[in-house]
Amino acid sequence: MNLFLASLGFGIVTAAVLAIAAVGFTMQFAVTDVLNLAYGAVMIAAAFIAYAVNQAGASVWLGMLAAAAAGAAGSVALNTGIYTPFQRRGSAPITLVIVSLGMTLIIEFGVQAIVGGTNVSYTMSQGPTVRAGGLELTAVQFVIIGLSIAVMAGVHGLLRYTKLGKAMRATAANRSLARNCGIRTARIVTVTWALSGALCGIAGTVLAINDGSFGATSADLFLVLILAAVFLGGPGQAYGAMAGAVIIGLATEISAAYITPSYKDVVAFVILLVMLAIRPAGLLGARA
Amino acid sequence: MLTTLRRTNSGRRPVLAAFIAAGVATAGSAGLAACASSSSSPAGTSPASGGTLTVADLAPFSGPDAALGPTYLVSCDGATQTINQAGGVLGHKLTCKGVDTRGDPADAVPAARQMFATTSGLALVIGVTSDEAASVVPVINADKMVVFAMTGQSEFDSVHFQYFYRLVPPDLEESYAMIAIAQQLGYKKIALAFGNDIGSQTFIQPAISAIGKAGMTLAANETLDLSASTFRTEAQKIVAAHPDVILTEALGPTDATFLSEVKQLNGGKMIPVIGTSATISPDWYKSVAAAVGAPVLASGFHADNLVTETSGPSYTPFYNAIMSQRGKTGSTGNFATYLTAPGAVHLYDGINLAALAMTEAKSTSPAVYAPYIEKIGDGTPGAEVVYSFAQGVAALKQGKAIRYEGPGGPTSFDSYHDSTGIFQIDTYSPSGAVQVSGNITPAQLRALS
Repeated sequence: MNLFLASLGFGIVTAAVLAIAAVGFTMQFAVTDVLNLAYGAVMIAAAFIAYAVNQAGASVWLGMLAAAAAGAAGSVALNTGIYTPFQRRGSAPITLVIVSLGMTLIIEFGVQAIVGGTNVSYTMSQGPTVRAGGLELTAVQFVIIGLSIAVMAGVHGLLRYTKLGKAMRATAANRSLARNCGIRTARIVTVTWALSGALCGIAGTVLAINDGSFGATSADLFLVLILAAVFLGGPGQAYGAMAGAVIIGLATEISAAYITPSYKDVVAFVILLVMLAIRPAGLLGARA
Repeated sequence: MLTTLRRTNSGRRPVLAAFIAAGVATAGSAGLAACASSSSSPAGTSPASGGTLTVADLAPFSGPDAALGPTYLVSCDGATQTINQAGGVLGHKLTCKGVDTRGDPADAVPAARQMFATTSGLALVIGVTSDEAASVVPVINADKMVVFAMTGQSEFDSVHFQYFYRLVPPDLEESYAMIAIAQQLGYKKIALAFGNDIGSQTFIQPAISAIGKAGMTLAANETLDLSASTFRTEAQKIVAAHPDVILTEALGPTDATFLSEVKQLNGGKMIPVIGTSATISPDWYKSVAAAVGAPVLASGFHADNLVTETSGPSYTPFYNAIMSQRGKTGSTGNFATYLTAPGAVHLYDGINLAALAMTEAKSTSPAVYAPYIEKIGDGTPGAEVVYSFAQGVAALKQGKAIRYEGPGGPTSFDSYHDSTGIFQIDTYSPSGAVQVSGNITPAQLRALS
């Protein structure tokens, strides 16, 4: 029972980190039609920006803001400089997937060329540990959970109640029609890249905080979990990504308590495959 | 009703196809990365007269074990610079080249083949960890190239490869050494936490066997997936088993993350740790000390390591060679840690042995100079002991037989070209300096084997 509660706690934290990343990923995918596999590499690049700020003596939370800004700027640059020219030429979606894979390698190896193979940690305190039954979480992990909830609420508010959010939804649903209705879709696409990049930067920093130590390749497997959460929830579904993140996060950590932990990520994909077999559009996709 | 960003009315195929494409593309990234990482140079392997000879550092430069390749490169750059300052080998200058295996046997073979196809004047290969040794050593041997390998895999104890040389102990002996350290420190309940890479997994079975022979208890045995980002469940299982000590080797960020989680889940108290010799590395120290705290690591960590010189005639040129690379290559951590890092010490010796063998054989062809490695390492009766390449060349010019003894101590090659030294126990100071805290006798190891 204690191990179950402990795993439940770990799962909630993993889900919190995953949710921030997955929502950013799916939001960008929905509006821009680019399956951006470089997302994980940008996450880690942003985490290193936060590390640089942290090493300069600032709080890691300030570093996270810098990472968000860097993630936003980097993602906009990635779209403007790389993806948009391919889209203008009418490249097939699979071509853009390969391009994004290439960008993953370029960014990841670029980061490794700068920081080397060494792994680093933020200078920060984890704060006191709270114990309840078998559940054990540090103050920082509570902050991460709180931050994730705040981000989810923010994304909900943005999409549901703001003009920008409605324009994003319209662009995602039908770009031509949205343009004909007077929505400046090109600008919406750029703003979406910036927003998803900011979430990417935040996700990279909280991943690095949560892991305790990170290097240039630390997001490799995490990207696969992001994809699992996104496709489990239904690609392009912000709330689906949130639900997918919770399911994947809890399933991986709780299963690890009862099977060899090395196989915990396999469990995530078994769930995903079953889900895709039953509901091909994902958890929330069929509602549209 | 939940907010929807995208219509998903297009049926199952696009969703599945996109996911499969993404999965395939993501899985393929590792392979592409390996192809993308090795450098190239003009084709051909025979050096022109007076041309440059290349020492290839075939090891992980990316992936979880990415710290290993640069460690070996520090040794290579230091050793070759010293050799070049002494006039080079038969008029040839030496240079080093890193070849990335990503620590993956599947990526390592094409990387090795590309190395042979594109490296001009290739005269020696170093590196070759347990991650890739099983797949690349046969390739290197087939190409008749001398390799000084860092692998500890026990299969090389009993399979003869003509061009394979090893100055590090087999992993099973290291496993016994770790248990011997635990015995010395009075620990009874042992937990194992090793990475899921080939190089780390080879420690587990010998360790379990030695735990039984030592009358200890195996409290937990957790495998750490090096590609995972957290290990809380594994840490929780180990903490719940209440071990006296954790034996570990999980490189990359894994040990740092795992041990910080153990500390957190153990109420902020670290469980003592015994590491393999691979944990004696500035990169490992830097990442783990940052994660758990340097004083914590200094007070509760031991590692086995081969006995290396810390003074004397072989140490000074070694010290100068390694420290000359500070700021040029390698880790940004405590650079002096390289002076005891197995990869730095034993590959420095390997490069010097090979260079002296070329000099005595008057040939840079591995087929010709390889037999001289054993002759110079083990020595012949009456041979003059030399402690550096420069001393060796001077003695050879005088027509003397030589025996090279470097900072890794005297060598004694067996019929499989393995030369195993004796073990010491290392600890870290809070500043990351390596300290010797004791020795392990051959009798202790025999009792556990």
